Amino acid sequence: MRIKVEDLSYVYSPKTPFEKVALDGVSFTVKEGDTVGIIGSTGSGKSTLCQHFNALIRVTHGKIYVGDVDISSKKTDLTALRKQVGMLFQFPEYQLFDDTVAKDVQFGPLNFGFDREEAARLAAEAIKMVGMDYDEVKDKSPFELSGGEKRRAAIAGVIASKPSVLVLDEPTAGLDPIGKREILELVKELKKSFCKTVIMISHNMDEIAANCNRVIVLHDGKLLYDTTPEELFADPEAVARTDLGYPHSVHIKRLLEAKGVKLDTAALDADSLLEALKRRYCV
Amino acid sequence: MSDKNCETGHAEGAVIKVDNVSYDYRSGEHVSRGVRGVSLVVNRGEFVVLLGHNGSGKSTLAKLLNGFVVPDEGTVTVEGIDTRDNERIYELRAKVGMVFQNADNQMVASVIENDIAFGPENLGVPREEIEKRITWALDAVNMSEHRKRSPNKLSGGQKQRIAIAAILAMYPDVLILDESTAMLDPKGRAEIMETIQRLNKEKGLTVILITHYMDEAIAADKIFVMNEGRVIAEGTPREVFSATDKIAEAKLELPVASKISAELRRAGLDIPFALTDEELTEGLCGLK
Repeated sequence: MRIKVEDLSYVYSPKTPFEKVALDGVSFTVKEGDTVGIIGSTGSGKSTLCQHFNALIRVTHGKIYVGDVDISSKKTDLTALRKQVGMLFQFPEYQLFDDTVAKDVQFGPLNFGFDREEAARLAAEAIKMVGMDYDEVKDKSPFELSGGEKRRAAIAGVIASKPSVLVLDEPTAGLDPIGKREILELVKELKKSFCKTVIMISHNMDEIAANCNRVIVLHDGKLLYDTTPEELFADPEAVARTDLGYPHSVHIKRLLEAKGVKLDTAALDADSLLEALKRRYCV
Repeated sequence: MSDKNCETGHAEGAVIKVDNVSYDYRSGEHVSRGVRGVSLVVNRGEFVVLLGHNGSGKSTLAKLLNGFVVPDEGTVTVEGIDTRDNERIYELRAKVGMVFQNADNQMVASVIENDIAFGPENLGVPREEIEKRITWALDAVNMSEHRKRSPNKLSGGQKQRIAIAAILAMYPDVLILDESTAMLDPKGRAEIMETIQRLNKEKGLTVILITHYMDEAIAADKIFVMNEGRVIAEGTPREVFSATDKIAEAKLELPVASKISAELRRAGLDIPFALTDEELTEGLCGLK
């Protein structure tokens, strides 16, 4: 599913003393199969942008097309759109609410019009997909789960209706290293299955570099760069402007380069850096 | 008994002593493991980091340290005060301040100086003295110019600095930060790390930082690694991270530079174990 954003602007509390321009003339296209990282410091407009994709914030200026559907139109079928574009908020575990995990995960499918039986089947599938034992957790209260499990239960709720686009707002924030890795592995699995297009907000440059094929950099509501992680992190001026720093692996490569050591890698993840170092040093 | 502890505590420079402490969460029939048989000492002026995966018992330990929960077994003392001592619980909580993940949940007032005043007011500190403390606390986190403003226009990092200042105004002996950087962007995280390291070095504040970021742990004087409710490793960052099997057992990850240097050493390269990107680079450039 392709997403096209054209000259999108958004102003909070317009024509009041609290007026704040959150997005200012942003245009880019996400292709089917892309994993796009949206980066920028706090307040740069990332969440505002992402909440447009399933019309939680309606387009007030500019256009957004999801596939061929112009979601800027007032006539947009919002239920159909939200079934297609799954949205995972920051700290989604705070949104778990039902008395059992199974019921919580079924909530989405039921709202999208699936009957009880079908919703139960989709929920079971989704819970398995996020790596939990369905029979063990289905009757548990979501609040009995551990932090990482709660996050995964929340994701199960989003993917149960099999969206073709997944929008993730800081999906790994607050998780331990294993929890982070599990979520990112899950995203890769989903891409092989029904959800080909992923848009992910993250402050973690290691994650962006290792998992995204494209990055959109926002700054004060404006699109600063629409590029690849490879090009972005090879451009010191660009990195300085984003305020976000380098992934560790790229940082190490740059420190070595400053000492005259050239490596044959973009070093977008620790493994490719390690392999390049082995090629260079372990003969 | 507490007096005696107090004396020995001071003699050894210990602020916090945790002695063979176990605690479980109970609700009705349901019991879930908190911490088991934990013993540790935090000395005055130390910068201590607690590492462990979600559910390893770190936050439970933090709650035990300020008497938010009391041990089922064993004892926790802060400056010689037993956390079970109900008569001194407020004194104790003023000594051990906590900052959590989301500063928004910790803000109580609509003007920053009132937010800072809230803690000392509750402790019955006289008004003039409170004014002094507000000035000092805001200066300590480099937020003096925001004194008369509303906290809701601040960035995440600035809000967390205000949350820290609000704790500092109670003149605590120990500052505990429970994943206080988890919701921040890299710049906000850097601000908080800079602030707490400065408070630790310049003001001698004892800091206990709970984090999932391994590069924040590198700055510690001492790290405790928790797993399944127990402390399974303790030592300097170098000692702890070079025990790679313990890190794996605790389901943690090494800092990137450590991971790479460990792998290269395994591949036969003669470089030192590195904690930071700079150390790794130096090690590699030392090779000829």
